[in-house]
Amino acid sequence: MSYTLTRAEDSVAAEARYPLGESHRVEDDPMKQQVHRSVFTGKLEEVLNLAVNWGRKNSLWPYNFGLSCCYVEMTTAFTAPHDIARFGAEVIRASPRQADFMVISGTCFIKMAPVIQQLYDQMLEPKWVISMGSCANSGGMYDIYSVVQGVDKFLPVDVYVPGCPPRPEAFLQGLQLLQDAIQEERRPLSWVVGDQGVYRAEMPSQREKHRDRRIQATELRSPDSL
Amino acid sequence: MSTETPTAEHVVTDDPIIGALRQRFGDHALLVQPTLTGMPVLWIARDSLEEVLRFLRDMPEPFEMLYDLSAIDERLRAHRHGLPEADFTVFYHLLSISRNRDVMLKVALHEDDLALPSVISLYPNANWYEREVWDMFGIAFRGHPHLTRILMPPTWQGHPLRKEHGARATEFDPYTLTVEGQGIEQRALQFKPEEWGMRRENENTEFMFLNLGPNHPSAHGAFRLVLQLDGEEIVDCVPDIGYHHRGAEKMGERQSWHSYIPYTDRIDYTGGVMNNYPYILAVEKLAGIEVTERAKVIRVMMAEMFRISSHLLFLGTYLQDLGAMSPVFFTFTDRQKAYEVIEAITGFRMHPAWYRIGGTAMDLPRGWDTLVQGFLDWMPKRLREYERAMMDNAIVRERTRHIAAFTTREALSWGVTGPNLRATGCDFDLRKQRPYGGYEHFDFEVPLGSHGDAFDRGQLRIEEMRQSLRIIQQCVDHMPAGDYKADHPLTTPPPRERMLQHIETLITHFLQVSWGPVLEPGESMAMIEATKGINSYYLTSDGNTMSYRTRIRTPSFPHLQQIPSVMRGGFVPDLIAHLGSIDFVMADVDR
Repeated sequence: MSYTLTRAEDSVAAEARYPLGESHRVEDDPMKQQVHRSVFTGKLEEVLNLAVNWGRKNSLWPYNFGLSCCYVEMTTAFTAPHDIARFGAEVIRASPRQADFMVISGTCFIKMAPVIQQLYDQMLEPKWVISMGSCANSGGMYDIYSVVQGVDKFLPVDVYVPGCPPRPEAFLQGLQLLQDAIQEERRPLSWVVGDQGVYRAEMPSQREKHRDRRIQATELRSPDSL
Repeated sequence: MSTETPTAEHVVTDDPIIGALRQRFGDHALLVQPTLTGMPVLWIARDSLEEVLRFLRDMPEPFEMLYDLSAIDERLRAHRHGLPEADFTVFYHLLSISRNRDVMLKVALHEDDLALPSVISLYPNANWYEREVWDMFGIAFRGHPHLTRILMPPTWQGHPLRKEHGARATEFDPYTLTVEGQGIEQRALQFKPEEWGMRRENENTEFMFLNLGPNHPSAHGAFRLVLQLDGEEIVDCVPDIGYHHRGAEKMGERQSWHSYIPYTDRIDYTGGVMNNYPYILAVEKLAGIEVTERAKVIRVMMAEMFRISSHLLFLGTYLQDLGAMSPVFFTFTDRQKAYEVIEAITGFRMHPAWYRIGGTAMDLPRGWDTLVQGFLDWMPKRLREYERAMMDNAIVRERTRHIAAFTTREALSWGVTGPNLRATGCDFDLRKQRPYGGYEHFDFEVPLGSHGDAFDRGQLRIEEMRQSLRIIQQCVDHMPAGDYKADHPLTTPPPRERMLQHIETLITHFLQVSWGPVLEPGESMAMIEATKGINSYYLTSDGNTMSYRTRIRTPSFPHLQQIPSVMRGGFVPDLIAHLGSIDFVMADVDR
């Protein structure tokens, strides 16, 4: 599997652009190197990593952060009919310091971008970002002077959820995709154990994965009846 | 009260207000502009602006409300026959509740002298509107206490609604944020009390300045409020908006009349097709389209569905702001039921963009009536339960009764409309006072409050939902047969059946779908009673496929401007109750 490695940096130059930290692709699973060193510690680390990731992905605490229309659909996912608690992500935190992931649900404005960056910086590692809706993904239908054309211009995004706004179900699927990605992650188990970089797995694109099945559809339901 | 729809270029010359102004200021003081706005549009000289406004405000049956104030960049407008020469026009739209009439005053300005006297002393809500005009057009207002940017960031260069300003983000360099830039922006956003004439301390105490937002769970979106606190007491506060400015007005200048419809959905994003309504009505006035009875009733039905859905969202979040966790789960269950109906009919949940110039996007699907009836049968017992479990709840009552109360007079002077105005006891609902789109045929009541406090604002909306259910029931019972689209050459998209006759019909169809309709030069306006108050679109056509200027007057903008005057002397928890009871969304403020 391919990974993207991001290392934390000690000092940052003023002209450095967000997102900070240098990332580059690595083809090797960092675990493999461990296996070559010692079969036993390699296995142990793998088990530990799996266990930690399992815990992380099933108790994701979302940051109570919303920008526009998408936030209404995100809130809908939190309430009874969709019940996000099924995926262990119902503990909404009002403080970024207690949250695990942030959903950019809505349009990212030039006036708002520094505020979003500030809030993101206040979240503690490990942290993730879901970009929800067309505006956050790419600016969407708002190619206009006041809108940043995609939140990934300054934040590292883990999952993109398409839609304007996406249905609550789509948001829930995005959350599950994030969980899948977290399961594959390699993060340092401690500040003295192993490599200190964050290895994010490159997850398959859903569009490519489902394309063959989707293009099979030729007959669409008529809107004339329910 | 007249319910006729203006069909041709319709000059309002018989309005008594024109005579009164002529008598007072002389025949040459005003020039009457023929428009389709349905109100007298009068050009006056800049020097007489304050006097005319004062006269209108203080006359018997006065114009109590400054309903809207904005500007038009006239420099590229081709069709201006008979109008005073102007590079920029600033317009003042006044509304009189007692007369149930409007009047619009226009002042011509030249590029080398873009300044006007501020009218805050006459109408306090002119404050933010004047700041917006300064921000968007660079027109200065003499005597304004704080003429700074309101929608754009303080570090912004240029005035976006000027014609020479770029519209697209992709015309500019791609956005980047550096560590240094982040610091600059953060410092620019820092609140400096001295700039607002606030003191940091008095003899007894040092004030605390609390920054609520731009991201706060009770702020309902990207809204910032800086509080000057003496303990728990709010000495003063300054709302800061513009974190949700999507440039919807500029967008109108480059989207065709037809393709702008989806943008209207996203203005008051909980209101769905309710937002299409004033825009479509204004376009139909320009095009001279009279829609069919069936289209009218379908529109009313869907608009009321969205009113219920929006009020349910209000109710859940309002009670959550007051500390009640569970209501939001109940009301969102009901919203899901509403969305099942909306989705089955329109094909989308939040932003269906379902109204079309001349009708709706499609006819109602087979079996719609049982579906809608199911929702109508479900809701009343839920509303009863909400009233019993929540509005009769002692804690909710303690938290909201006589909290953040204001009178009708105060509400009007701040431009407050909709349920927030009716909670003060003022009977002004456009669906009754100036019926549009066929509302005159429906039997419903306008619920009124009496105290104008946070409790009345909540209770009133529950009652409004009942009335909306009543209207929808009448739609189900008496849905007229016929076409869902008007038979008119400018109906967009044009009927497909007439496309494949011969090459001419195909060409016409192709042009009207790709370019959209070309509308005659003129100005029109339509106001509706939206979910949060009066929403209107003031469209200026220059005989093109696009609007020359789209002015969107939204109800939430003045509602937020009013906050300091209501909250001075209140406590922080009262502010949260007030914010919950206003029912605003930031897209409806910043557009």
